[in-house]
Amino acid sequence: MALTTGRSLLLATLSLLLFCTIWFLLPATGLVSEQFLPNPVAVLERIVTLIGDPFAGATLPTHLSYSFGRFFGGFLLAALIGVPLGLMMGWFPTLDALATPLLDGLRFIAPIAWVPFAALWFGTGVGGPIMIIFAGAFPPCVINAYQGARHVDVRLIEAARMLGTSNIRMITQVIMPAAIPSIIAGLRISAGLGWQSLIGAELIVASTGVGFMMVQAQANVATSTVVAGMVAIGVVGLLIDILLRRFERAVTRNR
Amino acid sequence: MGSIRFENSGKTYGNGPGAFLALEGVTLDVADKEFVAIVGPSGCGKTTCLRMVAGFESVTSGRVLVNGKDVVAPGPDRAVVFQQFALFPWKTVEENIEFGLRNKNVPKGERRDLVQGALALMGLESHASAFPHQLSGGMQQRVAIARAYVLDPAVLLMDEPFGALDAQTRVVMQEELVRLARVQPRTVLFITHGVEEAVYLADRVAVMTRRPGRIKEVIDVKSVRTGEKWDDLERIEDVMDTESFVHLRTQIWKSLREEKIAAN
Amino acid sequence: MATEASAVGLDRNQRTDEKAVSASVAGRKLPGRSKWRKMLARPPVISALSVAAVLLIWFAATSWFQLAPAGRFPTPQEFWSSLRQSLFAGYAGGTLVGHVWNSLRLVVIGFACAFLTGVPLGLLMGSSRTAEAVINPIFSLMRPIPPLAWIPLAILWLGLGSAAKVMVIWLAAFVPSVINSYTGVRGIDKSLIAAARMLGTPRGRMIGEVIVPGALPLIFTGLRLSLQAAWTTLVAAEMVGALTGVGFVLNVAQQDIYPSMILVGMLTVGVLGWSTTWALAVVERRMLARWPQGRS
Repeated sequence: MALTTGRSLLLATLSLLLFCTIWFLLPATGLVSEQFLPNPVAVLERIVTLIGDPFAGATLPTHLSYSFGRFFGGFLLAALIGVPLGLMMGWFPTLDALATPLLDGLRFIAPIAWVPFAALWFGTGVGGPIMIIFAGAFPPCVINAYQGARHVDVRLIEAARMLGTSNIRMITQVIMPAAIPSIIAGLRISAGLGWQSLIGAELIVASTGVGFMMVQAQANVATSTVVAGMVAIGVVGLLIDILLRRFERAVTRNR
Repeated sequence: MGSIRFENSGKTYGNGPGAFLALEGVTLDVADKEFVAIVGPSGCGKTTCLRMVAGFESVTSGRVLVNGKDVVAPGPDRAVVFQQFALFPWKTVEENIEFGLRNKNVPKGERRDLVQGALALMGLESHASAFPHQLSGGMQQRVAIARAYVLDPAVLLMDEPFGALDAQTRVVMQEELVRLARVQPRTVLFITHGVEEAVYLADRVAVMTRRPGRIKEVIDVKSVRTGEKWDDLERIEDVMDTESFVHLRTQIWKSLREEKIAAN
Repeated sequence: MATEASAVGLDRNQRTDEKAVSASVAGRKLPGRSKWRKMLARPPVISALSVAAVLLIWFAATSWFQLAPAGRFPTPQEFWSSLRQSLFAGYAGGTLVGHVWNSLRLVVIGFACAFLTGVPLGLLMGSSRTAEAVINPIFSLMRPIPPLAWIPLAILWLGLGSAAKVMVIWLAAFVPSVINSYTGVRGIDKSLIAAARMLGTPRGRMIGEVIVPGALPLIFTGLRLSLQAAWTTLVAAEMVGALTGVGFVLNVAQQDIYPSMILVGMLTVGVLGWSTTWALAVVERRMLARWPQGRS
């Protein structure tokens, strides 16, 4: 029943090899056209080309830097507003009762549905996309900070209260430190949703960024560029998650 | 009928330089309808012994036999009562008890009678349609025992079954088990770290050494029990007050303590 | 999401009680509050007031004092007339009901495909180490690509019709279904599996009566996330390229610079998300009636 690590590594390698072979052979044997599914080598070549040659107005790294800049802005905004709001909702029942119905209502609206208003209010350059990333990344920030604050050990709170701790100190010195693991878990979810909302926003509006590049490629039936964009998006998304996971480990280790 | 035989059984986890020797040369015979308890210092591998009989783990040297046949895989002829009850939370008490019978393809009418019998045996009639989480720990363990008994297994394997219960409930369950052993005697292998529990329940008590575990000595309790007429005494505390009980308890305790000291 | 919210709500009430108790222990129970203030301080009342306040601010800012720039923020009256227009006269090539029907159909089909493929795959990966070793690397390779990034490729492959949308919805909803079913199986108490083996459970019954029920609470968590992902993806896909659907309404309204119709579209998306989540929660509650609370 139990597999040795060696055998499962072997199986994993074999399965990846098989996957790549099928991907390579499907277009190579003419079963499907290159136009439909470019082979992995072609995609890699396309990525290398895109690093030097511009497509849809910029090179791939430039598009990525636009996308990442927007992502970072929106994500930071969501964290800076969402986390404190969640913590305060966890501590002040009145604020909780005030904000919860509004947030619950907003949660059911897909972040992408904000695109028209975002474009109308903040334009399609930087402001609009940032608002959409914010719409995607904000809810997990609030929810996790809130739940983290809610699940602080009651004895800790009672002890702090007995010591006459003020509300502000209570939040910054007792609740926030205790809620850190939950907050960081929320940030990771936020980052994933924010990154995905950004791609959505760039597909629909915007005139720079990886998403825009992909839409242009789609319009030109440049399939290898579309797949190259997907790979780039996947890699950057993965890097963001790895960074946050590092951060998570660094913070939770000192506890 | 059911008998268990450990024949120079050993268990090693892993291989090469990182190998971990858990059991070495365990030899023990449990006769039909005999109740044997195994006590030993923690980490000595007593639970591994039971898991090998159950078929959850295989021997790496020697043999483990039930009714003269090598154990290959788990099966309903060797019913296990787990420390953590292991009842299916999404099944009612009745459905939990019935589950093993369905696996044995017992016809429906017969199944109902058997389940009713098991419920009555453990005093669970009024909880038949309750879910496990609605019951106390003691009641849950009764269900687990009923689930094992109803299969009419060759051997009954109990892995610290009362370890997760509070002290009062544990006493009640111990008395219950003694009563059960009188009404429906079974071959039982009982793992525990409680010396008193072992002496009170078992016909023989096997003491294990520290790791790698071996059987250090086997102490006969049955002859003392029948000789001193423990069975005439109503309550557990009366039994535990008798001189013969105290003597046996001390003897096992000393033997065990040597191992504990040596282990440190 | 509805159950999540209600679970949080329940927890919230309990916590408030705890707080009240500890507050009175600490001698901080506020004396001398009038009955009225006590009434107003109750959470449901505050919540109602908060919703009312937002509506009031909306009216005030757009309609009464015209603080918000017209043409960018819809007034309540405009919203109402746009809603009537979309319902009766039609907008973006059809009535709102028609658009909703088209979107809902795609989500249901995509979600069903994801459910029927993702859950069994997750269960398989959870119960067989070999299957896990084979499938997990491919899965991990594809997972960092957000479902929305598949939209251009899906359009290239399948065009602007329903098939491309079902494909991306399926992709989006597939991942949470697989992960949670897998985690659900892995999270089953090992002693339950041991007990089932000891009881001589045959393979089919093992899956049907032990593994699936054991993983069910987490399977539902996955389905809830899947449903959410399905809606997000559908709206995005319809905004990128479609000829009908709620996302298409949003897209046309954006191009027409028609704020009140944008609001109609957004609220429709919200209502659809909410009602399908609610429907799923009803199913979940029925199916999980036998499970002890707080296991998921």
